[in-house]
Amino acid sequence: MQMVELEATGIVKRFGSLVANDHIDLKVVRGEVHAVMGENGAGKSTLMSILYGMQAPDQGSILLRGQGVRFRSALDAIDHGMGMVHQAFKLFNSLSVWENVVYGREPVRGISLDRRASMAKVADLAERFRLKIDPSARVGDLSVGVRQRVEILKALYRDARILILDEPTAVLTPPERDGLFDVIRTLKADDRTILFVTHKLHEVMAITDSVTVLRHGRVTERMATRETTPADIIRAMTGRVVNLTVERAPAAPGALVLDVEGLTIGTGPKPVVDRLDLKVRGGEIVGIAGVAGNGQTELIEALTGLRRPDAGRVTLAGQDVTQADVATHRAAGLAYVPEDRAVTGTARGASAADNLLMGYQRQQPFAKGFRLDGKAIAEHARRLIARFGVKIPDETVPVGTLSGGNLQKVVIARELTHQAPLLIAEQPTRGVDVGAIEFIHGELVAERDRGRAILLVSAELSEILALSDRILVMYEGRILADLPAGEADEDRLGLLMAGRVAEAA
Amino acid sequence: MDFISAFMVNSTVQAITPILLAALAGCLCGRVGVFNIAMEGQLLIGAFCAVAGSHYTGSAALGVAAALVGTVVFSLILAYGATVFRGDAVVICIGMNLLAAGLTAYLLRQLFGVSGVFSDPNIAELAKIRISSIQSIPWLGWIVSRQTVLTYLCWALTAIVAYVLFRTPVGLRMRGVGEDPEAAQSMGVDVRRYRVVTVLVAGALTGLGGAQLSLGTVGIFSEGMSAGRGWIAVVAVMLGRDNPLLAALACVLFGIADALSVKLQSQGLPNQLTDIVPYVVTLAALVVSYRRKRDRRPASAEAAAA
Amino acid sequence: MSENTVTPRRAALRLPAVPMAILIGVVIGGLLVLVSGGNPFNAYWRILVGSLAPANWPDTLNWAVPLVGMTIAAAIPLRGGMVNLGGDGQLAIGGFVAAVLPVLLPQILPLPGPLLALVAILAAMLAAGLYAALAAFGEVRFGIPMLISSLLLSYPAIGLTSYFVGFPLRDTATGLSQTAMIPEGARLATISGPLNIGLLLILVVAGLVLYVDRRTVFGYELRMRGLNPRFTAYGGVKPGPQMLRTLFASGAIAGLVGAIIVLGSLYRFQDGALLTPGYTWSGLMAALLANGEPLGAMVAGLFFAALQTGGFAMQRETEIPRVLTMILQAIIILFLAIRHGVVRRA
Repeated sequence: MQMVELEATGIVKRFGSLVANDHIDLKVVRGEVHAVMGENGAGKSTLMSILYGMQAPDQGSILLRGQGVRFRSALDAIDHGMGMVHQAFKLFNSLSVWENVVYGREPVRGISLDRRASMAKVADLAERFRLKIDPSARVGDLSVGVRQRVEILKALYRDARILILDEPTAVLTPPERDGLFDVIRTLKADDRTILFVTHKLHEVMAITDSVTVLRHGRVTERMATRETTPADIIRAMTGRVVNLTVERAPAAPGALVLDVEGLTIGTGPKPVVDRLDLKVRGGEIVGIAGVAGNGQTELIEALTGLRRPDAGRVTLAGQDVTQADVATHRAAGLAYVPEDRAVTGTARGASAADNLLMGYQRQQPFAKGFRLDGKAIAEHARRLIARFGVKIPDETVPVGTLSGGNLQKVVIARELTHQAPLLIAEQPTRGVDVGAIEFIHGELVAERDRGRAILLVSAELSEILALSDRILVMYEGRILADLPAGEADEDRLGLLMAGRVAEAA
Repeated sequence: MDFISAFMVNSTVQAITPILLAALAGCLCGRVGVFNIAMEGQLLIGAFCAVAGSHYTGSAALGVAAALVGTVVFSLILAYGATVFRGDAVVICIGMNLLAAGLTAYLLRQLFGVSGVFSDPNIAELAKIRISSIQSIPWLGWIVSRQTVLTYLCWALTAIVAYVLFRTPVGLRMRGVGEDPEAAQSMGVDVRRYRVVTVLVAGALTGLGGAQLSLGTVGIFSEGMSAGRGWIAVVAVMLGRDNPLLAALACVLFGIADALSVKLQSQGLPNQLTDIVPYVVTLAALVVSYRRKRDRRPASAEAAAA
Repeated sequence: MSENTVTPRRAALRLPAVPMAILIGVVIGGLLVLVSGGNPFNAYWRILVGSLAPANWPDTLNWAVPLVGMTIAAAIPLRGGMVNLGGDGQLAIGGFVAAVLPVLLPQILPLPGPLLALVAILAAMLAAGLYAALAAFGEVRFGIPMLISSLLLSYPAIGLTSYFVGFPLRDTATGLSQTAMIPEGARLATISGPLNIGLLLILVVAGLVLYVDRRTVFGYELRMRGLNPRFTAYGGVKPGPQMLRTLFASGAIAGLVGAIIVLGSLYRFQDGALLTPGYTWSGLMAALLANGEPLGAMVAGLFFAALQTGGFAMQRETEIPRVLTMILQAIIILFLAIRHGVVRRA
């Protein structure tokens, strides 16, 4: 007999003119693993934050084990047996595992923390659900996978009957992911219910019982996993527009622009980046695929001068820049679209003109000696704003008011227009609307055709596949494969990203 | 050890008291994520209120009570300014230090009609407690006995603050609030309330420190009498990384430096030179402490490689 | 998106915040006067007349020269999101060097007076600038927060200068803790009344700072750092050297102020005379009031100078102590700090 654990009906949530959730119905049976799928921006996160009490829906109702509930806060939801493991962990790194788990609901003896009872409780829970963990370890010393277990323990300690896992595998290595799947099976055996939020198909097929697919804030499909196929799910997620394809001619690679030899970051037996070789020529786009945390961030930091490598050599447009700082890299011919436009790529309080100048403020025609030419800077800014279609009243307005896509256009405009031979683009379209994605992709290809060397790092496989002429798969600090675009597809890359070279061949 | 040096140690222990109390306050605030550098002003307010209270009531105890109340009220500015109103703590603290200097100087003139220094027979100073059983011990007796109740209290408070922080649920929550307020909030801890209450408790601690400053030895208030002690406490907090026990250790170091400066002065060195000894020691301690911290990283990487 | 909603409202609400803060300061200060038995209207009238009546302009301007100077010294690092709390020490070093050089240098190298003054001023700026940069060095090299080290470094500087004028360099003729008088030729020429060409020097510096802030690479990079330090590092500005440069400039201007006071009005270094008026902290308050924007900071500095000059008149005429003006400054800053937060939250 199937008991309905959670039933949400007609959930609507609007942010201004954007309807994030448009009459969503979700029915979850007790003891099942239920996938909530959809592309970025489909409304998964909003729905989960409503179910977890972090946001109130504008319309709709939630039934929990047949009872109508209206959560006032996440805490209220926790009291009703909800638990959630966020994508960004909410843990205290300086505290121990047991302190993190009991935080806010501590066992006491007299006025003191009952350390022994806490540790015992945590150890007990960990054993019961096969979460291998040392309760006295400091969370900051743990790997990402183990930290995730701490988050799960936190929820179980508060006796969560329903556990929401938000993109839980995005940060995991394949063995860690398999460990997580084991835990999920144990939880299921204990009659707990799992809401598994993801956009990865093979995981859905591997671990879930049923699937609800969202697109543009609506439910497009509800099905039992064993009665469906990956193709059905893709169709439901994307509405038959299967992939973002970009019209482009075959690449005509020219001179070597970026040459990396034996690059190593970190010391010890397992460096973060491990004797890595990499070549990018003018006129080609080289994509780096890989699960986050396999050394991509560190590699890019070293290539841009934000970090000094421990060994190896980096040559940029013929100049050795291995130990050089950012300014030298830029002078040698680097343009760089950073991962986080708001934190690194722009100064929100500064005008568009000031933002479009950064990195080139000491070069002609903007600087004459130490004096800045305000007129040249303003003209340059106006030209870029027009060419890239940035929606801003004029160049003197601070960019803090812009939407994500427009802000990203400011960054792209700045980095593309200076004729640096190498462009490193990190997550160039993350959190950007479809129109802007198309535009940015088009610009990147156009730059390639003008002979520029482009190194693309993206968490979106579809983006890598759509843009790259060559695809490198990064795994545990090394390049595991170097594939021409024609030989790569999503399945093969997926296997390589999991380190399974033999199967991918 | 001769009589003089025992006397000196006694006065060193006295001198440490206000700095230690302020440092405890700083540790508490630091733990909940409020960067308090207003201790200089808080000590001054405490010292003034203590003298005023003692002067009007003739009771040192009521003087201390006045210091507590006055400093807690004064600390409301930081408690609410840096939390509910989300102001910048550094700017607020700088403003508070200036306000304390101005306000005490103003009230000194308006209430007591003097400028600079106020001393009056009506001001009851804190009694020196003589513990007869200890007092008779030759050297130690001089140090441990003949101290004010606040001096004993400050060491007890060091232990209490450390215990609360590291061994009680409240302390655990405080540490979480300081490290990641968002995570703490998500676990149902009212971050704002923890911060407000902590800053006010810290205000009470500095109030005690101020009372020791003005009533601990002779019962006197002089303009700017905190004289950098609040800043030294800030450094003690930094050196101790918000740990009350380590901060207390740093305070002892400064006490020794202070005693050294008194000693040097008694050897005939001009006070302009000896006065800077504690600051030079403080700066040196900062350099040593931060250099060690910086060196630790590559060292641990090598350890991992081995 | 939540990341892009606040700026315009903040800009709109920011403008009336300053007059509002001043009004609140005036009201609270007035209540304080009332409670302590004075007449607030009379007090404020005296401040107004004492500072702004044409006959008192020279006094106000004379007070404004060091105060605005220290305001600029505080505003420069603030513009880049850094705080220099060590103005007192830098002021003392600058004043000390400017007092000692004109007395000692002619013994080895006879220079004409004006040249001697110029050398003294440049040396004062260099010494104070380097001393300020020391705090920046501590942060760049060891990671010691500059906020606290800059302040702590003040104490040895004050102590040492005080020792030197008290002992080895004491003017034995007077018996006070002060150096010998500077030769007349090396003093800054008087313009009229209390005003000397120090006023012009500060005006030049003010113009220069405004120019650098608005029209040069350095100003641009510093402004951007103040808005987002990661952005400037990403743009290739080296954070360490930038911090050293900025603190050197800040300290050098503090040193210049010390030199102007010594060469322009005291004609010698008197123990404590540079620090008692509290230019450093008033300057910092003024700089904070404008959030480091130099023109606004200078205007705020002028305002505080008028307030303090008026405070002297008030104390003379009404028995109300002039520290009242210090309280007003503190309340204005506190209100702005909190108000700023209120707006940010909205």
